[in-house]
Amino acid sequence: MSNETKLTKADLRRAALRWMPMAVNTFSYQYQQAGSVVFALGPALRKIYQSDDEYVEALNNHFNYFNAHPWMANLVLGAALGIEDEGGIAAKEAVQGFKVALMGPMAGIGDSLIWVLYPTIMGSIAGSLALQGNISLTLIWLALNIAFMFVRVWMFEFGYTSGTKLISMLGDRVSMLTETLAILGLVVGGALIPSVVKITTPLTFTAGESVTEIQSILDQIFPFLLPVLATFVCYRLVKGNKVSISVLILIIVVISMVCAAFGILS
Amino acid sequence: MQLALWQSIALIVLAGLVPVDKYGMTFGLRWPVITSVFAGLIVGDMATALYIGGTLQLMSLGIASVGGSSIPEYGVGAVVAVAIAATSGGGVEAGLAIGIPVAMLMVQFDVLAKIACGGLVQYAQKLANDRNFKGMYATLLCGPVLMFLTAAVPMAIAVFVGGDMVNAVLNALPAWFTGGLTVASKMLPVVGVALLLTYMPASKFFAAVMLGFVLVAYFSMSMLGVALVGVIVCLVYWGYCADKSASSANNTVMGELEDE
Repeated sequence: MSNETKLTKADLRRAALRWMPMAVNTFSYQYQQAGSVVFALGPALRKIYQSDDEYVEALNNHFNYFNAHPWMANLVLGAALGIEDEGGIAAKEAVQGFKVALMGPMAGIGDSLIWVLYPTIMGSIAGSLALQGNISLTLIWLALNIAFMFVRVWMFEFGYTSGTKLISMLGDRVSMLTETLAILGLVVGGALIPSVVKITTPLTFTAGESVTEIQSILDQIFPFLLPVLATFVCYRLVKGNKVSISVLILIIVVISMVCAAFGILS
Repeated sequence: MQLALWQSIALIVLAGLVPVDKYGMTFGLRWPVITSVFAGLIVGDMATALYIGGTLQLMSLGIASVGGSSIPEYGVGAVVAVAIAATSGGGVEAGLAIGIPVAMLMVQFDVLAKIACGGLVQYAQKLANDRNFKGMYATLLCGPVLMFLTAAVPMAIAVFVGGDMVNAVLNALPAWFTGGLTVASKMLPVVGVALLLTYMPASKFFAAVMLGFVLVAYFSMSMLGVALVGVIVCLVYWGYCADKSASSANNTVMGELEDE
């Protein structure tokens, strides 16, 4: 515990510059952005962990579901690296809990401000000026995006410093922090079920004159019944190591195609 | 005017870079007005390019890919439209007639690429466990290549074979296949959530999972709100744990005193 920190500013900058072009480019449904996280943090983790065993353990820890707004993720990943640099492999669960806990709110801020507000303002002005043959605001917009790149690198470093401070402040209470962050992460995890798993049925049945939608009946029994059931089944299958993840994905794709063909799910 | 080979290739590369930039650096290639400036430089007709870019930009306002959902890409549509306008002399309409099918085909490829990325990342993790770190990085780099192809391939078909071919490909795909991919893209995040819960102490703190679910399912709370409620729960839990460890520390002190 409380090793000397091993990462320099150059290491952080390197991690940030490895994250930014990759971000969502390895997006998959089961890992989300985890592949890019590993790609970005790999060299820095190598520096923290001299032994191969610890390094692989740390990599496996980062090969876990992570999905945040690619800009805001810089803060989260920087802080995660700070926790890891200060706490070592003992802090690995705190790192994972921290990442999961923050990814939801960061995505919330990023999606509304960076994905919607900023391009809507810039786009509406740049678009109308472009129609009059005026290129100026388009170029300013492009220049702003490039300038934000430096802000994003700074966010990564800022996250790292805060993460390191957090761990050294807590000292030997890291295990308590791990447990608390796990709770926060699980609250976010529970919230993900109704917000990212979207399964609904368009089925209807006709009794006499009236047509009843099955989905509305399901909603009355229990909202988001189908996503909850699907999550439960997948959880049991994954937990019990009954099927490999790739087989599970294949099964879901096949079920989706069959259900779409017969109009059971939409 | 006929496009030179270098112009065709440059346009295909530009189209391919749209998803890669959207998913990564975000310099703004997904926004048609920015992309059209580059497309305009390639075909050498900035005035038309700007007009097309501006039109598409105003059409696409407020559209954003949130949480990894697949939507038609107006940036790619802009590249197609500028290319068509330059070659056929047709305006925005002619460009859109081809641009929209290309963007639609790209959505299908996008879902397939994300399913394929699952295999890639899984393979990368296996390589990591085999201590083959170079192989791991190389495998992960295939991700952006796949994303590049999702736009570059339909663009190449449109440029080299013609727009009708894109429509033909789109029509040849059976409904169960495209519909199934859409259903799958909505259902597949369940695997990620299940993995997440497996990895964390979900059975020990099952109440936390329920709390998050109830807040969204019954109160439609935003993620930020959910996280704030989560923080409140954590602070209470933290205080409780701190109390417990403080009182147990007191007890040992008392015990030691009594021993003396």
